[in-house]
Amino acid sequence: MASVKQITIWARGVIQDKEGRDIANGIAAAADYEGKFTQAFDNYVDLPDRVNVPLRKYARISDEEIEERYEYENANPEIVILTDATIVKGMNVLRGMPKGGTLVVNTDRTPDDILKFVPNKELLKQVVCVDATAICGGHTVDFSGSEGGIDSVGIGAGVAAPILGALVKGTEVVKLESLSKVVQNSEAMLKGYDQAQVKTL
Amino acid sequence: MPYFKIPKEKEVPLACITPAPVGEQPMMITGNWRIYRPVIDHEKCTLCMNCVMFCPDACWQLNEEEDEVVWNAKYCKGCSICVRECASGALTNEYELNFADGVVRLEKPF
Repeated sequence: MASVKQITIWARGVIQDKEGRDIANGIAAAADYEGKFTQAFDNYVDLPDRVNVPLRKYARISDEEIEERYEYENANPEIVILTDATIVKGMNVLRGMPKGGTLVVNTDRTPDDILKFVPNKELLKQVVCVDATAICGGHTVDFSGSEGGIDSVGIGAGVAAPILGALVKGTEVVKLESLSKVVQNSEAMLKGYDQAQVKTL
Repeated sequence: MPYFKIPKEKEVPLACITPAPVGEQPMMITGNWRIYRPVIDHEKCTLCMNCVMFCPDACWQLNEEEDEVVWNAKYCKGCSICVRECASGALTNEYELNFADGVVRLEKPF
């Protein structure tokens, strides 16, 4: 059980729905290349068809077979990714996080600016900030519906690519080589890897 | 002239009528949807009430004692309709992380 790494992605409804899903699918597909057991899925409870609503996407990586495959929420995410920085004001994003977790934020601010809005920051080991929107412009808007979260078409065409790069810089859950097999815009991914600011607490 | 004379104590309301909500709806707080927030410049505001009329969530209310419109951070989704409709240009959009207040931190989206 303990070997399962839980990753939760918070995104905004409709405008970043596809991006959040891309991050979850990208992590899972890249870890799959490394021979790990993986899982990526959307939250059942959130209604992603409302613009700007905070919603969750989940990914799990494990060296052994995932026992809790049919638990449909990540209760204790080690890594939390925010595709929009303003979610820190609206949600307790670190809920259930064990001590020593990582927060990855898409923002033009510094990690210290983000930490001002995190009330339970003693749980964090590090904060990674990357300005993904500046690296590759707007978001991939996709209205094809999102339930299931299994679309592997066009992973990482938008802001998901630099965020994935920043995630690798901070945590090394997956390797950069296996990610570049999955992500479409690998140039943006490498830029995200280079430009990410990592603050260790 | 009504066809039926229903005694007052046996009258029932129409099925489509439900009691109006009084005050706020704590089951549906939407303040955490906001990326940009409207900021009012009270010097420019002419109290035309466009924001009060157009806000879909009634987040702008007139404070009659102070004679100015008041914004509700708990329910404003940041849809920017009020900024568009403001006749005097008193409303502007500002990025939410520029402000320390207006935190609506929920445990779950629902």
